Amino acid sequence: MRAFGNKALVTILGLAVLFFLYAPLFTMAVFSFNDSNYTGLPFNGFTLEWYAKVFANEQIIRSFGASVFVAVGVVILSVTFGLPAAIALDRYDFPGKAWFRRIVMLPIVLPGVITGVALLSFYVAIGLNLSLYTIMLGQGTALICITATEVFARLQQLGRSTSEAAVNLGANELEVFWKVTLPNIKSALLGAMLIAFSISFDEIAVTYLLTGRENTLPMTLWSMLRREATPEVNAIATLVVVLSVVLIVLGFAISRSRNALADTGEAAL
Amino acid sequence: MTDLTADTYLPSEGESGLKRAKRIDRRRMLFWVLPPTLWFFVFMIIPYGMLFYYSLGSVDYVTFTPGLSPANFIKVFTTEPYLGVMLLSAKLGLFTAIFSAIIGYPLAFYLAFHAPETVKRFVYLLVIVPWWASYLVKAYAWKTILGTGGILNTMLIGAGIIDEPLTIFLYNQFSVTLTLVYIFTPFAVLSIYAQLERIPTSLIDAALNAGATRWEVFRKVVFPLSIPGILAGAVITFSLGFGDFVAPVLVGGPSSLMISNIVINLLGVAFDWPMAAAIGLVVITLGLALISVAHYLEHRFQHRL
Repeated sequence: MRAFGNKALVTILGLAVLFFLYAPLFTMAVFSFNDSNYTGLPFNGFTLEWYAKVFANEQIIRSFGASVFVAVGVVILSVTFGLPAAIALDRYDFPGKAWFRRIVMLPIVLPGVITGVALLSFYVAIGLNLSLYTIMLGQGTALICITATEVFARLQQLGRSTSEAAVNLGANELEVFWKVTLPNIKSALLGAMLIAFSISFDEIAVTYLLTGRENTLPMTLWSMLRREATPEVNAIATLVVVLSVVLIVLGFAISRSRNALADTGEAAL
Repeated sequence: MTDLTADTYLPSEGESGLKRAKRIDRRRMLFWVLPPTLWFFVFMIIPYGMLFYYSLGSVDYVTFTPGLSPANFIKVFTTEPYLGVMLLSAKLGLFTAIFSAIIGYPLAFYLAFHAPETVKRFVYLLVIVPWWASYLVKAYAWKTILGTGGILNTMLIGAGIIDEPLTIFLYNQFSVTLTLVYIFTPFAVLSIYAQLERIPTSLIDAALNAGATRWEVFRKVVFPLSIPGILAGAVITFSLGFGDFVAPVLVGGPSSLMISNIVINLLGVAFDWPMAAAIGLVVITLGLALISVAHYLEHRFQHRL
C-alpha cells in the first residue's frame, strides 16, 4: 500500500497549504467585483465596472499584446538554444563541459536584476536601442536554462540506448533527432515551453532594466501599483489567473499525457 | 547540414573505421554544443566582461573613467550598506527557502502518498495555478490583507481581539518574508513532490513488514530520500528570495531593502555604474559557487531508486 501516515492529518495539512495558496488569490478575485474604489472591506455590492475599465484601457491592452509578443519570442529562444544544450550535456563529453553546465544553470540562481545590469551595459556598449526585442533577448538568455534542464532531465531518464541504436543502424543526426529523440521528449519540451512562457509573461527584474518605450503587462501593473492601486488591478489579476488556467488545461489536452503534468516545474538541478 | 546527412559509420577507403567514427561523432557533438555556446558567449560572457571593465573604473558625477582599481570590490565587503544588505538578502532568502519547504512538504506528501489518482491531477493543477498568477498581484494581495485598513485588522477588530488596527503586520521583514514564502511555496511543493513520487512503494512496504512504525518509516526512509527534492527546491526559492526587488518595495519598509533594490538605486539615482557592476560580479561568483555546492550535495544525497 502506497498511502502511509495518518491520512486525516496529512489531508488536513495539505488542505491548509492549499488554503494558504488560494486565500490571497480568492481575496483579489472577490474585490475585483466590489463596488468600491478601495481594495478592502466592507463589500459594497457587485459590479463589473473594473472589468469594463480594464478592457477600455488602451495601455493595458497594448501591454498585454507586448507581453504575449515577448513571451512567444522567449519560448522560441529558449527552445532553440536550450534543446541543443540539453542534448550536448546528455550525450557528449566535451572540453569545458563543467563550465558549460554552470553557465547554463547560472540564470536559475542569478537575480534578474544582475542579468539585466550585465545586458544593459552590453547594449549600451554596442549602441543597441532598448525595445521589446532587447527584453526578449534578455529574458530569452535567462530562460534557456528552463528548456535545457527540463529536457536534460527527460533525456537522462531515457538513457542513450535508443539513439545509439539508431546511429548504429545508419541514421544521421537529424534523423535520430526527428525520429527518436523528439518523440520521446515531446511532453518535457511542451512543459518547458509552458514554464518559459509563464515566467516571461510575469517577468519584472530583467524587463525593468531593459525596457524601452513600450511596456509589458507586469511593467504597466507595476507603475499602476506604485502610483495608486485601483480595483482594476484586481480585475487584471483575476483575468490573468483565468487565462492561465485555460492555457494550462489546453496544454495538457494537447499533450494528452500525464507525463507533461509531472514534468511541469520539475527542477533538474 | 549536407555533411550530416552523409554520416554513417561505414568505413571508407584510406581511413580506419574507428577514426572516421570519431570524426563524425565530433561533428555531431559540435552541431549541438556550438549554437548554445556561441549564444552564451555573446549574451552572458561578453556582458559579464563589460561588468568587469566597469567595475574597475570609477564615476565622477556622470562621467565614467576607466581604471584598474579593485576599490569597488573592496567597498562591497567593507562599506555599508553593501555588505549588510547582502547579508540581509541572504537571510531573507534562507527564510524563504526554509519556510517554503516546511509549508510545501505536507502538500507534496499528500500528493505523493494520499491523493487518489482522480484527485491527484486536480490538486497538482491547483498547485501550478497560483504560480501562474501575476507575481506583482500576489505581493499586492498581501498588502491588502496585512495593511492597517486590511482584512486581517478588520477581522481582528470585528472579533474584539484588538481595538485599533495594528501596524506590525506590514512594511517590515516579516511581511517581506511572508510574501516571498507565499509566492515561492509552489516551487517547493513541485520539487519535493517530484522526488517523493520516485520512492518505490516496495521500499515502504519492506520497512513496514520489517516492523518499523509509520513514524520510523518516515524518519528513516522517506524523509532521507526526499532530501534531494528539498535541496533542489531550496536552491531555487533561496535564489528567488535573495534576488527579489518587488516585495521589499511593495510590502517592505526601509529596513528590508535588498541587494536588487540597491543595484537599481545605484544605476538610477546614484548613477554609480562601477559599484553596481562590482556587486553584480560578486553575486555572479556567489551564484556559480551555489551551483557547484548544490551539484555536490545532490550527488551526495541522491540514491538510485
